[in-house]
Amino acid sequence: MNLDWGVVARYGDDLLRGAGLTLVISLICAVLSFGLGVLTALARGSSNRLLQLASTTYVEVFRNTPALLQIFFVYFALPSLGLRLAALPAGILALTLNNAAYGAEIIRAGIASIPHAQTEAASALGLSRRHVFTRVVFPQAIRNVYPPLINQLTILVLGTSLLSVISVPELTGTALTINSLSLRTVEIFAAATLLYLGMTTLGTFAMRALALRIFPRIPVR
Amino acid sequence: MSLDFSVVFQNQRLLINGALTTLQLCLLAGSLGTLLGFCVGIIRASRVPVLSPILQGYVVVVRGIPLLMLLFFVYFGLPYVGVRALDSASTVVLAFTLSTGAFVSEIVRAGIESVAREQREASDALGLSRWQSLRHVVLPQATTVALPPLIGFYIGLTKDTSLAFVVGYHEIMRESQYVVDRTAAVLPIYLTVALFYFAICFPLSRLVALLERRRPR
Repeated sequence: MNLDWGVVARYGDDLLRGAGLTLVISLICAVLSFGLGVLTALARGSSNRLLQLASTTYVEVFRNTPALLQIFFVYFALPSLGLRLAALPAGILALTLNNAAYGAEIIRAGIASIPHAQTEAASALGLSRRHVFTRVVFPQAIRNVYPPLINQLTILVLGTSLLSVISVPELTGTALTINSLSLRTVEIFAAATLLYLGMTTLGTFAMRALALRIFPRIPVR
Repeated sequence: MSLDFSVVFQNQRLLINGALTTLQLCLLAGSLGTLLGFCVGIIRASRVPVLSPILQGYVVVVRGIPLLMLLFFVYFGLPYVGVRALDSASTVVLAFTLSTGAFVSEIVRAGIESVAREQREASDALGLSRWQSLRHVVLPQATTVALPPLIGFYIGLTKDTSLAFVVGYHEIMRESQYVVDRTAAVLPIYLTVALFYFAICFPLSRLVALLERRRPR
C-alpha cells in the first residue's frame, strides 16, 4: 500500500472550504436550536395543555426518528406540502429541528434542577415573573446543564455530515467528491478526520471560554 | 399533496424486507459491539499498560468523527489497505460494530468507575482474585448503573443504522427510497418509515426514563 499525502495538499483549499461550511452550518444551527430549545422547554413546563401536548409531541417525534429521515422529509416531502427549500436551508432547518428537540430536554432538566425556593425568594424580593425567569432561574439552569450542552454541540458538528447526502458540500461531502476524483481514500478521509477532531475540540474550548465570560464567579462543573 | 396509504401496502414486500434488514443490522452490530465495548471498557478501567492507551486512541477517534465518515472510511478504505474479502453487508456490520464498541466502552467504563473503591478492597480482603471481584462484585453493580445509558445508546444505534442507506445497504431507508423513486408517494412512505423507527425507539426511551426514575441514588 502506497500513500500519497501530496493529495491532501493539492485539495487542501477544498477541504478547508468544506470545513468552513461545516462550521458555519453548525453555528447557525446551534444558535437557532438553542432559541427553539428554550421555547420548547418553556412550553413543556407551561400550564397550557395545548402547548404541553404540542411541545411533547414535537420532542418525542424528533428524538425517536432518525435525523437522516428528518432531513429527507424536509428536503423531499415538504415540497409536496408547498414548502420548497434548497438543499442548504432545508438541511439547516432539519438539523435545527432535530437538535432543538434534544436541547429542549437538556434545558428542561436544567430548569427542573433549580429549587423552587429560588423562585419564591425572587418574587418575595419584588421581581416580576419575567425577571424571576430571566435573571434568577434561567442563568442557573443553563450553568447546571452546561456540560451536556457542550456535548450536544459536538453531536451537532458531527451531525452536519448527514447533509452530504442531500449534496451540501460541507466537509464530508467535499471529502467524498475528492475521493471520487483522486481515489485516495485513506489520505483524504484521514485529513477530514483530523479536521473534524480539530473542530469539535475547538468548539469545546470555545464553549468553556464562553462559560468563563458568562458565569465568571461560578465554576462550571 | 396525496396522503393515500394504499401505496404502502402495494409495496409492503420491499418495506418489510427493509425493516427486517434494519433489525438484523441493529441486533448484529448491537450484540457484537456490546461485546467489544465491554472488553474495551474493562481493559481501560483496569488501566492495563500499553493496551489501555491504544484503546483510548480508538475510542477518541471513533467518537470524534461522524459515523457517516467512519462508514465511508471502512467501506472505501478496507479494500485499499488490502482487505477485499468482505462483502458490503459485512462491511456495514463492521463499521457499526466499531462505532458501538467505542460508545459502549465509555458507558461500561463510567459504570465500573462508579462502583465504590471500598467494594474492591472488601473483595480483596475476602480473598477474591482480581477476576472474581470484577465478575461477581464490580460488574453486576456497574451493569445496573450502565443499563439506562446503554439502552439510550441502542436507541441511537437503531436510528443511526439508517446511514447504511448511503453505501447502498438494503435497510428500510434504501428500500423506501426505491418505492419513493418509483411511485413519488413521498409523504405516505416517509411517514410509514418514521412510524417504524418510532415504534421501536419510543417504548425504549420510555423504558430508559422509567429505569432512571427507579434508580436508587
